[in-house]
Amino acid sequence: MQTPADTQHQAGSLAEVTSAQRAAEKSGAADAEAKAAFGDFVEKSRDYYAGTFLKIQQARLRLWHMNFAAALGGFIWAALRGNWMLFWVGFVFDMIAAANLGLVYRYSADKADAIVANKEFLIERFSNWTFLHLIAAVGIFIAGRLIIGWLADRIYYRQYSAWRIDSSVNSGVNASRWIIAALVVTLVAPLTLYRSTQDAPSNRDCIKVARAIQAGDEVGFKSRFDCSTISEVPTLMWLKRPPQYTYPKNDDGTRNIVLKESKAKRPVNLNVWLSEVIDQKIDYAKAFYGYIFDGITRWLRTLLNAIEALFVGTPWPVSAGIFLLIAYHFAGPKVAVFTASTMVYLGVFGFWQTAMSTVSIVIASTIICVLVGLPLGVWVGKSRLGSAIVTPILDVMQTIPSFVYLLPAVAFFSIGKPPGILATVIFAMPPMVRLTALGIKQVPESTKEAALAFGANPRQLLTKVELPLATPSIMAGVNQVVMMSLSMAVIAALIGAGGLGFVVVDALGQSEVGRGLLAGIAIALIAMAIDRIIQQANRAEN
Amino acid sequence: MNSNNNYKDTSNPVVQVRDVWKIFGDRADEALTAIRNENLSKAEVLERFEAVIGVQDVSFDVQESEVFCIMGLSGSGKSTLVRHINRLIEPTHGDILIGGVDVGKLNPKELRLLRADRIGMVFQNMALLPHRTVRDNIAFALELRNVDAFTRMQVADKVIETVSLQGYGDRLPADLSGGMQQRVGLARALAADPEILLMDEPFSALDPLIRRGLQDEFLELSAVMGKTTLFITHDLDEAIRMGSRIAIMKDGVIVQIGTPEQIVTEPADDYVADFVQGISRLKLVFAHTVMLDPKAYEQSGGSLHGSEEWPVASSEADLDTLIGLSVNRDTPILIVDDGNRVGVVTKDVLLRGIQGEN
Repeated sequence: MQTPADTQHQAGSLAEVTSAQRAAEKSGAADAEAKAAFGDFVEKSRDYYAGTFLKIQQARLRLWHMNFAAALGGFIWAALRGNWMLFWVGFVFDMIAAANLGLVYRYSADKADAIVANKEFLIERFSNWTFLHLIAAVGIFIAGRLIIGWLADRIYYRQYSAWRIDSSVNSGVNASRWIIAALVVTLVAPLTLYRSTQDAPSNRDCIKVARAIQAGDEVGFKSRFDCSTISEVPTLMWLKRPPQYTYPKNDDGTRNIVLKESKAKRPVNLNVWLSEVIDQKIDYAKAFYGYIFDGITRWLRTLLNAIEALFVGTPWPVSAGIFLLIAYHFAGPKVAVFTASTMVYLGVFGFWQTAMSTVSIVIASTIICVLVGLPLGVWVGKSRLGSAIVTPILDVMQTIPSFVYLLPAVAFFSIGKPPGILATVIFAMPPMVRLTALGIKQVPESTKEAALAFGANPRQLLTKVELPLATPSIMAGVNQVVMMSLSMAVIAALIGAGGLGFVVVDALGQSEVGRGLLAGIAIALIAMAIDRIIQQANRAEN
Repeated sequence: MNSNNNYKDTSNPVVQVRDVWKIFGDRADEALTAIRNENLSKAEVLERFEAVIGVQDVSFDVQESEVFCIMGLSGSGKSTLVRHINRLIEPTHGDILIGGVDVGKLNPKELRLLRADRIGMVFQNMALLPHRTVRDNIAFALELRNVDAFTRMQVADKVIETVSLQGYGDRLPADLSGGMQQRVGLARALAADPEILLMDEPFSALDPLIRRGLQDEFLELSAVMGKTTLFITHDLDEAIRMGSRIAIMKDGVIVQIGTPEQIVTEPADDYVADFVQGISRLKLVFAHTVMLDPKAYEQSGGSLHGSEEWPVASSEADLDTLIGLSVNRDTPILIVDDGNRVGVVTKDVLLRGIQGEN
């Protein structure tokens, strides 16, 4: 290895050095020196590895160069040399090949059964499978060994480079590594091979086995073993079913809590138990705090009705004209033409009213998102506490798949447009908060300082300096909110939010691909038109 | 008090800075006590309290209409110090009095009034609001005080004229060059007609020619308006050009306070001496500093014979003037104040004076 100074020195008189190198090569002095260093690393088979490594350093290694010891030894060679990456690669290849052999055994047995039962088509199927898995076993085994053989010296040379930097990297040959390798193999191989030769019991069978054990019946060892190792991960916890309640209404409007006798006395697993507990809690909340959810629903419906009255209620020639004007005024002629074509598409295919209904939901959601997200974003941007509380929540919200948001909406607000808006709002809120916070944080410290130096109070600082300077970022947030609302409004059709999304969902249900496709294109066109208008408007403003 | 402070208080100071300390860190108070009791070094303070000393026991007064320069290299604490005047930074210890009022005791509302009415500030990076026109930027301080739009316009237009930016009122800052942007910054500081101007390296980011032009303009404006000014700079030439007095800061401590001449002729320590080494003394050093007492001149073998023929200058004449008198003559120069012969300047003395080894 060379220090940077050496390299520089060489670069300075490259010709000289190469000629010197050639001379040295002839005499073999330089080679011998390099080989000695390689030898310290490899310990065994010094000559072979020193020669190979020298070729790698001199970029003279042939493309098809193979290490035959590694190809023959496979993962055992890798373990001996302490290269655990190659060990796993080799081991996984061999295991896959072995598992395929296991399958050959299993299907041969099945084939024998089929012959006994004299089922023609089964015999043919199992013969096919047996043959295919045999080919696979052999092919994967050979491919694995070839790959190991090809990789071996190249990867081993990297190990050598790492060892030069950090002498604790495995070097040489050490038989004690075989113990580790043997341990890994004994832990992994037998069970995996057993699994490949057996038909795994189904989930239902295993529940039966578990219940039988619970009841104290005699269960064979093989059933027990198979259910606890090669089927679903065994549920260790069996719990008493949680009590079920109902909440009937009295004449005076109060509610009673009545315990429902459950017929099933069997214990349940953790999943069933927790699901039932959650259902119970939601039922309780709906029964006793229903007025809160009803209030929110009513409020959302009022907002939506007002917006729908505007969009759906306005005759199409009027609203189309206004949209066109807006597009032209804020985003110029190109976008206006695009918007016009979108509207023509909607009109020609009879999507106008449906589209307006979707747009109403999007606008209602956007309004709520901005009203809630903007102050929240300012808080996150300005306060460390706000950032510490809100940011993790946003992170979680953005990782949850959008479908999941439908669950709480349906649980508390049943189905229809208001829960659709709610799910949409929750889904579309994070970018508003994030981008507002980002905009506020990006206001230069010096500008804020200047405003303070001229006597700005906190409110003036926010309204006259921070919010105006954050406007581009906030508008980007609004654009995101609109886009995400549109995509969620389509998904919310699953819970009865209607609009274009309903056409798609309905078409999906009835396998009417054409109708669904046309509605899908309508949604895409609307999204593009709105996106262009908002983006161009932002650009023009800055 | 700083032992080097040889400036004599003559009138009521507008700004008084008393024993101000600023230590950054969560344990600033502990650190301050420890520094006072144990005389710790900066490194020790950092190690023991994770605190950084920004300003260390600084006291000075700024007189009315004075341009008081604070000169120091980056990290010397000069910007930190000036932010104490309008309490953008709270001192760890010490008081700042403006017109006799303790700034530290003001409530938030009074403090905002002080900032809006009585102190204007100019920043190195201008810190203009990019979304507002030049005029609206200039009227910003007035707007913060809820002055009506009409008055704001009128005041802003007047100040625009003062800084010769006529015709740019409706432009955005981004349309203006750096020098013009800084004029806007200055205009913004002047708009509320404050008594005190804080200028934090206002011209440092500008190229030399524009810097010089703005310096001259500011000097003219300053002479007319007579605003009390604290002028921060890292450039000694600028400090000498602008300042009626200069405070030299190093590592949070004021090393020396004095007039430009005092700084150049009597540097308090090697650090200041190093700084002033390359400075031309021609306009800074005056006859009274270099001249020989007539008696001493005679004792050293000189003769006052024929001195009636000698060129005459006052003791306030600078070296540049003396050189002008001295060329093409063999005689020394006679220094006369109020008709009395107060000194003699020979060519040797003059040359030594230029060299700086008087």
